[in-house]
Amino acid sequence: MVGSPVLLIAVPLLAAFVIPLIGMIWKELVRIVPGLVLAYMLVLSVTLLVEVNQNGTIVETIAGWKAPWGINLVYSNLTGLLATIITTLGFLVWMFSYRFKRNVDFEPAKKYFIFLMMLVAGATGIVITGDIFNQFVFIEITGISAYALTAFYTGRNSAEAAFKYLMMGSLASSFLLIAIAIIYSQLGTLNMAEIASKMHTMDPVFKVIALIFFITGIGIEAEIFPLNGWAPDAYTEAPGPIGAAFAGVVVKAGIYAVIRMVFTLFDIPAAHDFLITIGLITLIVAESTALRQEKLKRMLAYSSIGQMGLVLVAFGIGTHAGVFAALFLMLNHAVIKPLLFFSGSYLVFNSKEKRISEVNGLGKFMPYTAGLFALGSFAIVGLPPFAGFWSKLSVLTAAADEGLLLVIALVLIVSVIEIVYYFRVVNRIFFQEYNKEESVVPHKPRFNAIIAMTVLAILILVIGFYPDAVTGMLHSASSDLLDKSGYIDNVLQVGQSLIR
Amino acid sequence: MYKFLEYGVYGASILLILIGLYAVLTKKSLIKIVIGLSIIDGGIHLLLITIGYLRQGTAPIFSPGFENAAAKMVDPVPQALVLTAIVIGFGVTAVALSLVIRLYRHHRTLQIDEIKSLKW
Repeated sequence: MVGSPVLLIAVPLLAAFVIPLIGMIWKELVRIVPGLVLAYMLVLSVTLLVEVNQNGTIVETIAGWKAPWGINLVYSNLTGLLATIITTLGFLVWMFSYRFKRNVDFEPAKKYFIFLMMLVAGATGIVITGDIFNQFVFIEITGISAYALTAFYTGRNSAEAAFKYLMMGSLASSFLLIAIAIIYSQLGTLNMAEIASKMHTMDPVFKVIALIFFITGIGIEAEIFPLNGWAPDAYTEAPGPIGAAFAGVVVKAGIYAVIRMVFTLFDIPAAHDFLITIGLITLIVAESTALRQEKLKRMLAYSSIGQMGLVLVAFGIGTHAGVFAALFLMLNHAVIKPLLFFSGSYLVFNSKEKRISEVNGLGKFMPYTAGLFALGSFAIVGLPPFAGFWSKLSVLTAAADEGLLLVIALVLIVSVIEIVYYFRVVNRIFFQEYNKEESVVPHKPRFNAIIAMTVLAILILVIGFYPDAVTGMLHSASSDLLDKSGYIDNVLQVGQSLIR
Repeated sequence: MYKFLEYGVYGASILLILIGLYAVLTKKSLIKIVIGLSIIDGGIHLLLITIGYLRQGTAPIFSPGFENAAAKMVDPVPQALVLTAIVIGFGVTAVALSLVIRLYRHHRTLQIDEIKSLKW
């Protein structure tokens, strides 16, 4: 055993506190150490995932307090997969932003990497913890570092976007705390497994109220429709790689929290229909808004919200095939959307307004970056040889198995909208004339950014051509999510073995 | 009488939450919005403490003379939760106020309807 899951949270948090100190020794260490930490986390999460695949779920108790009383971490096929996605994305974001902008010198770089470490630590914590109050704490850690990163550039809009995000985020976390108070007052426990095993004794009225407070509380991070007002501004005003981190790290953790509540904690059958409805509304509203956007990053942000809607629809189907499709979509989105944000942030690098109309003819000057953006666009709309195709196909087959024809029709219509707005950008990049007055000055990407983008592009192609490389993992993760009694047994048994 | 007081505390905590929500949703000044968020936090902390309250309970510590007092001890978990939540609320308020300072430096105003470079 290389290490325990607790290191996935402890090491980056420690690094976040140590970074200012080691910066006094040698300034370059501030940029290097986060990379080493994230690489270690990546290796650790992958080895643990392999071990979980062979020996079953790892349940780690903190400070020797047995399961129902103390905090425990659950590293199963599902949580391990998500933790691996988060650490991979964290590492690639570090690699991309190693020298993202030359004018970002020592002081800002230090803060940037501290908050990046805290963001990754918080998101990993949300995914692997087995205690709802602990999850609330990690949501707050992720939230605070996300607000700070949104306000990273001292231009005036970034503080506004960050304040908007903070207002919604802290209202949401208050709702989350109310939900936790309701559950604790009714069941007298905070442990997720024990809550799940006692949930049938709870008064249905309180159950529904608590679930509503929970979904409003976490829906902010998961970008569910009425609660996603922060997302377009935050994605636009935050630095480019942080947009990728939001799409790949924060949102994934938020979605995990929602589905853990719906699938494991609350046994309300109507919640699945609720997920489908809210997912479809999110999907349609976000994609049709994306069509009208003039700024590149806003368009990508709305597309990201739409994809999360599709993920919720797939989870709402509730069968094994549906959960599998949803996890596949999450994986693909975590690979494709960061590539779009990375290459997109280089396409509009020298532009103040970041408008789509400014990318005309850039394909001639920066063919590699533009080509990667096109690859990402093809993949996310679901053209056949690329990664997005398989996940969309599995959503459609899962919906067809359950006879949800309306879902199929709406998903297909929305795919057409997606094709329109993504191909509009690709068309401008490659087939419009470069115009000195309107287009932006091309900016050559740095070497480390090219590596980060190439890794993502290779992942897209691998998943596209050999989907079998990941489907085994996704199948075991989806059976893990649906196996509620297995989760309860795994967690509570650790407590019993410690008593003896 | 005690029963009445207990319900009163529940009512007060919910009232605090509602007052805070009112401030966040209707006030135009950024500072007042931040104050509203803090009031909501305070209300929730009171709610949590009330859940763990036991009439004529003792502190949850096993000490000489209190060996068999387990049934009379107040629940320590909500108190631990509230301590954590207070720290988190402090952090969020600090970040919020620092953002307010930055907004004020750029816009020279704290009125939320005069700060709208982005769509709200």
